[in-house]
Amino acid sequence: MNYNGGNTTGFVSPAGDSLEGRIDLSATLDLSRPSRYPVRVAGDALASRGIVSGDILIADAAFPPAHGKVAVVMMHGTALVGQLAFTKGQWWLASGHAGVQAVPVTGDEAEIWAVITGLVRTEV
Amino acid sequence: MAVFGLIDGNSFYCAAERAFAPELRGVPLVVLSNNDGCAIARTAEAKAMGIKMGEPWHLAQRRAECKAVEWRSSNYPLYGDMSRRMYEVLAARVPQVEPYSIDEMFLDLTGLPDVERLCHRLRDEVRRIAKIPTCVGIGPTKTIAKLANRIAKDDVALNGVCDLRGEADRTRYYAELSISRVWGIGSKTAATLQNLGIVSIADFIKLAPEQVRDVLTVTGARVQAELRGQSCLPFTLMPPPRQGIAVTRSFGQMANTWGQLREAVAAFATRAAEKLRAEGLEAGHLSVFAHTNPHNGDPWYSASRAAQIEPTSDTLALLSETMRLLHACWRPGHRYFKAGVMLANLTPARQQGQMFATRDTVKSARAMAALDAVNARFGRGMLRPAATGTAMAWKSRQAQHSPRYTTRAEEMLVATAF
Ligand SMILES: [Mg+2]
Repeated sequence: MNYNGGNTTGFVSPAGDSLEGRIDLSATLDLSRPSRYPVRVAGDALASRGIVSGDILIADAAFPPAHGKVAVVMMHGTALVGQLAFTKGQWWLASGHAGVQAVPVTGDEAEIWAVITGLVRTEV
Repeated sequence: MAVFGLIDGNSFYCAAERAFAPELRGVPLVVLSNNDGCAIARTAEAKAMGIKMGEPWHLAQRRAECKAVEWRSSNYPLYGDMSRRMYEVLAARVPQVEPYSIDEMFLDLTGLPDVERLCHRLRDEVRRIAKIPTCVGIGPTKTIAKLANRIAKDDVALNGVCDLRGEADRTRYYAELSISRVWGIGSKTAATLQNLGIVSIADFIKLAPEQVRDVLTVTGARVQAELRGQSCLPFTLMPPPRQGIAVTRSFGQMANTWGQLREAVAAFATRAAEKLRAEGLEAGHLSVFAHTNPHNGDPWYSASRAAQIEPTSDTLALLSETMRLLHACWRPGHRYFKAGVMLANLTPARQQGQMFATRDTVKSARAMAALDAVNARFGRGMLRPAATGTAMAWKSRQAQHSPRYTTRAEEMLVATAF
């Protein structure tokens, strides 16, 4: 039988008229919006921003890019996730590693794909 | 005056693949049909290499210049979800959107200010949010909007938007363009018209409507009225009721034995029953066919059987009927290449058990709901009748299937931390 907290067999459940569904995390994360794409992180370069390998990022393609935001960037044939910087009149992808130079987001195929608005970690 | 827009994704399937695979940007790419048979979507780079729509891929691959072309098996879960995104971006910005096909949508732009600028903005936002590059055609009728869209696709100077609301603009294009470019004019109709000396759209709209009706029936007369700017095809907000549900496929591997054929067709019947239940329908007619491949030298054999059935959406009931019909089609010694199951006489599913039904419909509905719930949660085909087999050699060949980035948690896009 499929027991839901209300359909008891003996005593009538006092909760019967007050049942609610389970918490729906996809609603909390607003995943039904056409602009939202879940993206999995590979690598620990963003550990200083609290983002580690295996995390699921909620990327929003409608969100305007801004200096300091973490974003998914398509560049040189790879999907990268890093911190955006706007200097000298253009966008850069800054590395989370100290000493690694920022790279300009330029070229025909380079694109700020979506800005990260949330994070899900399934194992802590 | 009504104003219609038609927004159409450029090489939609390829664009959906490229959205998640930056290594595919700027390189020639094709997406293949079920079973990796033919090219069904081509990027501009692939078109430039002479790859034709519907060209068998194993033949194209023999050409030296096509060696460098990237290809993917079709990934319909992804394309369907990207189409949904495109629709939702549009629906949030214009009063009415009609999803005409997976990659093209009619827009109701009637009474909106600055329509051309709006369409440029819609293009930009669909590109940015749904990741699909598009072109937009604008006109006082659907047929004109569709034609304008084709013009926008062909002429890059238009920046993706072609507005044919003005009669003077239409006159100019109508004189240049062949009637065969018009929506609803097939190659046969175009040939009929050519025999009458009618080549351009301008030639066609000059004809008397009665003459068009005589030669091309009311359908042709409607195309002419639409091209003249009289709207005959209204906005459709509901899909037409289903005439039937068909699951037909060619096999990844030929079915030589009864066991192999039965497994494949059982899976098709199972899928057809799922589709039926997803739409809350029951079928009162079932037909089955199977045939060999005439193109590879095998002897041609084709058979089909059909039957009226007690209306049902129960997988097991449909399966047993399917197997009975298929067995009547089966002749040993043939290599079966393709088969299918078709359901017709569709009616809304009844809520209660029928007085004279020979099955317990309530019990069956509960079992089917449980089956569908498990499959929705764990993936299609997780729970299925044993008749569909475990070897599944009949499964479509899909050698280069990309991840279902947006519908499966275990297949989402992976980005490298920088
Ligand atoms: Mg298209």
